[in-house]
Amino acid sequence: MVGRLLAWLDSRTGYRSLVKLALDEELPPGTGWTFTTGSVVTMLVGCQFVTGLGLAMYYVPAPSLAYDSVRFIMQDLPIGWLVRGLHYWGASFLVVAAVIHLLRVFLLGSYKAPREVTWLSGVLMLLVILAFALTGYLLPWDQKGYWATTVTINIARSSPLAGEFLASVMRGGPDLGALTLGRWFSAHVFLLPATLTVLIVAHIALMRKHGISGPVAPAPGAGVAFFPRHVAKDTVMMAAVFASLIAVAALVVAPLDEIANPADASYIPRPEWYFLSLFQMLKYFPGPLEPVATMVIPGMVVGFLLLLPFIDRGEGRHPLRSPRRMLTAALAAIGIGVAVLTGLGVADLPAGKDPNDWGLLPIAGHAIATADGNTCAACHESGGPAAPLEITRLTKDEEWLLAHMADPVAIAPGVRSAGDPAPAPVMSRFKAQAVVAYLRREQAGHRAPQVEPSQRLAALTYAESCVVCHRISGEGGTLGPDLTHVGVRRDAAGIKAVIEDAPEMYGETEMPAFRDRLTPEQIDALASYLASRK
Amino acid sequence: MSQQMSPVNSSNRRGFLVRVIQATHAAIGATLAFIVGGAVVAPSLGRRESQWLHAGDVTQLAEDVPMPVTLRIARPDGASEVVERRVVYLVRSGDRVRALDSTCTHLGCRTKFNAESMQIECPCHGGVYDSAGRVISGPPPAPLAAMATRIENDQIMVQV
Repeated sequence: MVGRLLAWLDSRTGYRSLVKLALDEELPPGTGWTFTTGSVVTMLVGCQFVTGLGLAMYYVPAPSLAYDSVRFIMQDLPIGWLVRGLHYWGASFLVVAAVIHLLRVFLLGSYKAPREVTWLSGVLMLLVILAFALTGYLLPWDQKGYWATTVTINIARSSPLAGEFLASVMRGGPDLGALTLGRWFSAHVFLLPATLTVLIVAHIALMRKHGISGPVAPAPGAGVAFFPRHVAKDTVMMAAVFASLIAVAALVVAPLDEIANPADASYIPRPEWYFLSLFQMLKYFPGPLEPVATMVIPGMVVGFLLLLPFIDRGEGRHPLRSPRRMLTAALAAIGIGVAVLTGLGVADLPAGKDPNDWGLLPIAGHAIATADGNTCAACHESGGPAAPLEITRLTKDEEWLLAHMADPVAIAPGVRSAGDPAPAPVMSRFKAQAVVAYLRREQAGHRAPQVEPSQRLAALTYAESCVVCHRISGEGGTLGPDLTHVGVRRDAAGIKAVIEDAPEMYGETEMPAFRDRLTPEQIDALASYLASRK
Repeated sequence: MSQQMSPVNSSNRRGFLVRVIQATHAAIGATLAFIVGGAVVAPSLGRRESQWLHAGDVTQLAEDVPMPVTLRIARPDGASEVVERRVVYLVRSGDRVRALDSTCTHLGCRTKFNAESMQIECPCHGGVYDSAGRVISGPPPAPLAAMATRIENDQIMVQV
């Protein structure tokens, strides 16, 4: 029955001759496993397309919802975390597979005439894949993506002549924001996939036109049938890589940082590993030399790759014999350079924020938000004027949130009539800042730790009196010393002495004496907590 | 093993290889389809969770006079959240309280209670219901939808 249906379909479409055309090819004798790298790249591209399609159904390219939509995919959507995991790790797999494919083509000299254009289309594809990675990094709109993209755009800005113009085109305006996200999204899901598809079709058509290059030295014997002999090898490699991708995606959940906070300029950006070498190189070319790291050296590497088949016009294909020996050495130097810079970059990576270290501000926020008789739940309840807190999203910026907490009614339109006087603030700005810090942690999926009453007292005191000048675990002012590891420098008694009377300890100092401003319990709670921060 | 493979043997081997290749590709495709398809289809299978909301107190209601109340229903909407307003008529008959959805069963307009005629009227196409939600005249094909209610300490809870 199926056979007859397919026979009919073939009589009307001629699909069998198309399949025959695609599969019936004799490969040079000796063609083996080394020629399966391209199939692996193709499989991974297909995988990215399918998982990207799934993600695009839920992703919203707007700063107010991008992060929540990714969090929705990760937490609420059944197996959404795995779809994003496959897409996230698939990007790394793809970069590795594309580079391995490029190295294989280089080592076997497969780019030589008449295959120059095939090589060019391949190098372009590698650049498109890197552009995919770059644009995709911003889309979750988390701290990591936001600040890495800031660096990327600054790199573009350093290019000579049109740098400023280029940067503002990438941003879609003077600032990184909604317009940037929109165009990077559009590039990631429309422009780049279309470009990649055209390049893949051209690349495969050219490969068929010229046939594959085969082993370096022609092997004796009969040719190898592409189907099924070589396809079987391709299939084994594709299945192995696919299984590894599934395993990695299932075992290592794709990371998602806290929501992008343009106000937090203290965040130290870190790029994805495949851009780490470029990022690291920036550190060695400061100031006016910056374009050397951002433009000249990367430009030379890409130029070398693009010109390779035109430089290397000799007959020999062996990578270690003249005339190719020098080119192999050049590529090895590039590879070693990238590897060393990446290694240095990894060593230089700033320590990430420990999600379990809540510092004091979010703990104070948690204590305020969940205290008995707290005002949030008066409106944020089932059937109330605002959605219950567990489904409320943080779609507004920090200023809005602080204003809302100070005067919740004013920004719920129509609830208060024009004649009513504005009420006294429900929550001080300090308290509101603490609650915002808590909501950020909560939104990033971190659960509030259980704390002792004395630590809660320390947290509330810190949020009222210390946060303006002192920073702990990424939150707080920078006028005074960072207290994240203050326990290394001083013990509890020493910290207590400073809190009670800093002018007596230091003489000239901005820090006032707190002996009469805080209760002894508050000072003890602060001193013992801070002494524990090693 | 003989050096020369018989044509039958070689054709069997080829057939087997082809089948293994097809099966492997199908397995890769099916795994991807299951994961991505699952994430695509899953939300369609979810049902809206119902909730009980406080709509009013029994003591506020006059016998057989519908009282319109506005319920605020907050629910997650994908990555975002919405608060819907829904107008419900509470009608008390003796000890029993009914809650009627104010949406006209004809084409979904919002009906209004007319206190003079003691009828519920739809402004769009002239549908008229009595205070128990039964159709009196006009195009509505069915009475106003009743919602589940329960009374806790004189508080009327409505299921939405």
